[in-house]
Amino acid sequence: MKRIEGRALLAFVAAGALFALAVGDEYLLHLCVLVMVYAILATSLNLIIGYVGEFPLGHVAFFGIGAYAAALLSVKAGYPAWATLPAAAFLAAIAGFGIGAITLRLQGPFFVIVTLAFAEVLRLIAGNWVSFTNGPMGIAGIPHPAIIDLGGFFSGKRGYALLGLTLAAVSLFAAYRFVYSNAGRAAVTIRENRYVAQSVGIQPWRYALFAFVIAASMAGLAGAFYAHYLSFVGPEVFGFSFTASMIIMVLLGGKGTLTGPVIGAVAVTVLEEYLRETKELRLTLFGLAVMGVVLFAPTGVVGALHRRLARGG
Amino acid sequence: MRAITTAVWMAALMAALPVAALAQKEPVRIGVIQPLTGSVAYNGTSDVNGSRLAVEERNRKGGVLGRMVELVIEDGQCKPANSVNAAEKLIQKDKVPVISGAFCSSSTMAVMPVVEKNRVPLVTGVSSMAGLTERGNRWFFRATETDALLAKSFAKILVNNLNLKTIAYIGVNDDWGRGGVDEFSKQIEALGGKTVLKEYFDHGTTDFYTLLTRLRATQPDGIFVAAETQDGSLLVKQMKELGVQSKVFGVGSWATNDFVKLAGAAAEGIYAAVPYAATMDTARNRGFVNAYQAKHNEFPGKYAAAGYNSINIIMDAIERAGSTDAEKIRDALVKTDYEGPNGRFRFDPKGQAYGFTVVLVQLKAGVPQVVSSTTVEAH
Amino acid sequence: MELFAQFLANGLVSGTFYALSALGLTLVFGLMRLVNFAHGDLYMVGGLLGWAATSRLGLGFFSALALVILVLAAAGWLIDRFCIARLRDQGEEPGILFTIGLSIFLANTALLVVGSTPHQVPAPVPNEPLLLGPVVVTKARLFAVAVCAATITLAHLMIQNTRLGKAMRATFQDPLAARLAGINTDRIYASTFALGAALAGTAGMLLGSIYVAQATIGGLVSLKAFVVVILGGMGSFAGAILGGLLLGVAESLWGGYVSTGTVDIIGFLLVILILLVRPYGLFSRRAERA
Repeated sequence: MKRIEGRALLAFVAAGALFALAVGDEYLLHLCVLVMVYAILATSLNLIIGYVGEFPLGHVAFFGIGAYAAALLSVKAGYPAWATLPAAAFLAAIAGFGIGAITLRLQGPFFVIVTLAFAEVLRLIAGNWVSFTNGPMGIAGIPHPAIIDLGGFFSGKRGYALLGLTLAAVSLFAAYRFVYSNAGRAAVTIRENRYVAQSVGIQPWRYALFAFVIAASMAGLAGAFYAHYLSFVGPEVFGFSFTASMIIMVLLGGKGTLTGPVIGAVAVTVLEEYLRETKELRLTLFGLAVMGVVLFAPTGVVGALHRRLARGG
Repeated sequence: MRAITTAVWMAALMAALPVAALAQKEPVRIGVIQPLTGSVAYNGTSDVNGSRLAVEERNRKGGVLGRMVELVIEDGQCKPANSVNAAEKLIQKDKVPVISGAFCSSSTMAVMPVVEKNRVPLVTGVSSMAGLTERGNRWFFRATETDALLAKSFAKILVNNLNLKTIAYIGVNDDWGRGGVDEFSKQIEALGGKTVLKEYFDHGTTDFYTLLTRLRATQPDGIFVAAETQDGSLLVKQMKELGVQSKVFGVGSWATNDFVKLAGAAAEGIYAAVPYAATMDTARNRGFVNAYQAKHNEFPGKYAAAGYNSINIIMDAIERAGSTDAEKIRDALVKTDYEGPNGRFRFDPKGQAYGFTVVLVQLKAGVPQVVSSTTVEAH
Repeated sequence: MELFAQFLANGLVSGTFYALSALGLTLVFGLMRLVNFAHGDLYMVGGLLGWAATSRLGLGFFSALALVILVLAAAGWLIDRFCIARLRDQGEEPGILFTIGLSIFLANTALLVVGSTPHQVPAPVPNEPLLLGPVVVTKARLFAVAVCAATITLAHLMIQNTRLGKAMRATFQDPLAARLAGINTDRIYASTFALGAALAGTAGMLLGSIYVAQATIGGLVSLKAFVVVILGGMGSFAGAILGGLLLGVAESLWGGYVSTGTVDIIGFLLVILILLVRPYGLFSRRAERA
């Protein structure tokens, strides 16, 4: 399992690199950048859903914190991207520690709603604290990472795609190491049965918090990268549309697997963009698609693949 | 024998093909980014309706450059991220040479760097945040007023006509609402009006009683409101329910049937500063209103006019440029001299339109009566 | 002082409305442990259906309300029987994901069918203000409060005294035991979801006569309903009422004395606080089970 997943992830990174270097169409490169952002975000969400077993509906809070951190640090304090990205991840990790410490005491629907409450509070603060965050006007003019100025291969969207790919590779590697470490195995035990885990000496709370903090910092990294790409950040980075997209990606691809979120990220980004062809029906069809997947393919793509392989196909 | 007949037929067909191809020329495509879903879908749809009407009228007269015009419409949802996605798709995939959009100022602001990088002109008929034309983006054109312009044009009349000494300001909590409140309060304070309250509410709020209770306690002469149809109608209705006597004036799409229908009797006597009202008395407007009413069974509001104007301006520019090259369209836009239902549009060097009329209307028996009108000056 | 009285009155009125809006959700949440994200959209469908029935079909307010209840109950039953039933033993996430998809589907289909125009359901009582001492309230609002109270009471009586209600409570306490006692739990779940949907639709139509009925309002309604349910405790009627009133009054006082723009924050802050102190809500008596 470990080998297959590891190889699949490497394959994804290689494919991504090939795509970014070979493709010239700006629109496709734009989609590639989005896929990278979402791959990191979905992987981070999956750490909690799939490996801790709880459903953090407010996970987008860390994405937003990372985005605003990068925006504020670069626009108001003048830091360059190579400093804001890690700083944003760090700040998101701290927030993860704080929020996790409070919320991980709860389970089930209560955890779901309280994390959502945190995300909403942050959204409202971002939208109202005009002197700090510029309120609904948002922060514009976020500078692009210096690497884009190197020219040649790194100019334009391709530079962003390659940078995004690098960040995604780092995140996937971190997730891989976490899952196949003692901490990861402990987390899975907790997910399967909390009480049994406690009986063998695993303290659920510590491992859950550890996973939560890692997930938060990853989401923050994605947010910071997104801010530099879009050059504009507003309170909608805490909004429900990102939440809905992330959840759908993790569940469509297959939770509890490392490759699932990545597949989900690719599938949903492509689906969202190509559904544009259907104009007004777009979101209606999207809702139907989500319901369909849940009803007929609940373990997602990867789950379906596993079953096929297990059957000896 | 048959072989010869077939050959003759095929030759004829092949000769006819290039002729057929010529007859069906590639349409001219204009990109449109508007909110078609989400909380401002109602207004975005009006804009698209106006845009479509403009295209139909033009196509009936033979189109542009001898070709039919086609709109490629994308849903920006009034969200910066989605609007940028839409812009990327329109530019890279559909290869449109010009875009109309993106409605909300924050979305337009996010799209502006994209069009600048890709060298495609962007015309907005709606985004009213003053700072947009100050960013030095030569690909951006604004075919409407800014909050600052409206405030400057009408502050004096309002203060005098309504005898305003103390004023309360209420705005929806987004860039447009805050901008409106800021600009109007600045102008009115300069004329001696005292601000007694400044509050914002979230779009989608349905119960304003608490806000209005506080407002009633300050007993202002006038209340300025920056809100759209859905929120504004509820706000105004609840004002009447709570017995608020002050005079109400504001900005937003109030001079429309839907607003009047929802607000009911509470709409009576409200003043609105708008860049367009269906009751503006020009020949061009009468034609537009009749055409819109025939198609949609209701009077057009400011968003329908915005879409109509933006697309007409764009089509004129394409015709003037004599080609669908984005750079040439941009240069042609600079020379715009367009007569719309609400006046004559020209662009100043920063891309800001001037020369058109904005009006202060008062709703009487559901009809927006023009109280005062003024022409927007070039800076 | 009279400002305070008005704020309090405002809060109690809006709180009652919140309570009704959340009632359906707390039932579904409490009995089926399903976080129904489509709750606000069922509310929205109720509102739009109510508007269509009164303005297009010309029905009176109460006949239209009966229609709304029937349609939404039927829809809820079908959704549960054919979709949610399949997801029941798979944990919570499929339910959440499904209802998110349902929510997106309902909101956008409504947008396609009815358009984005805001509408209002005509109330059978005029909107004139009524002065109760220094406090202003409208006749229409009082009427709505009365209908809310009646609906809540009826629902409560149904749950307490009818066979169906008792079966629901039994299933809530212990599904396995209920099945052993011969209760068809599948039908109970479907009925519960149907009841939840019907309550959501009732709230939608009733409040559509005070506020608006529009295709895009579902999301906000869901969020507020979640807050009420958490405050009051899952599955508890008394909790929904008191949670609703608490939210209404808290929002009114915060908006009145602190700032109106950030009013929505208070609900979420209360949720966080309550969950820290009394994780199962103010009124729930459930304990953790292994």
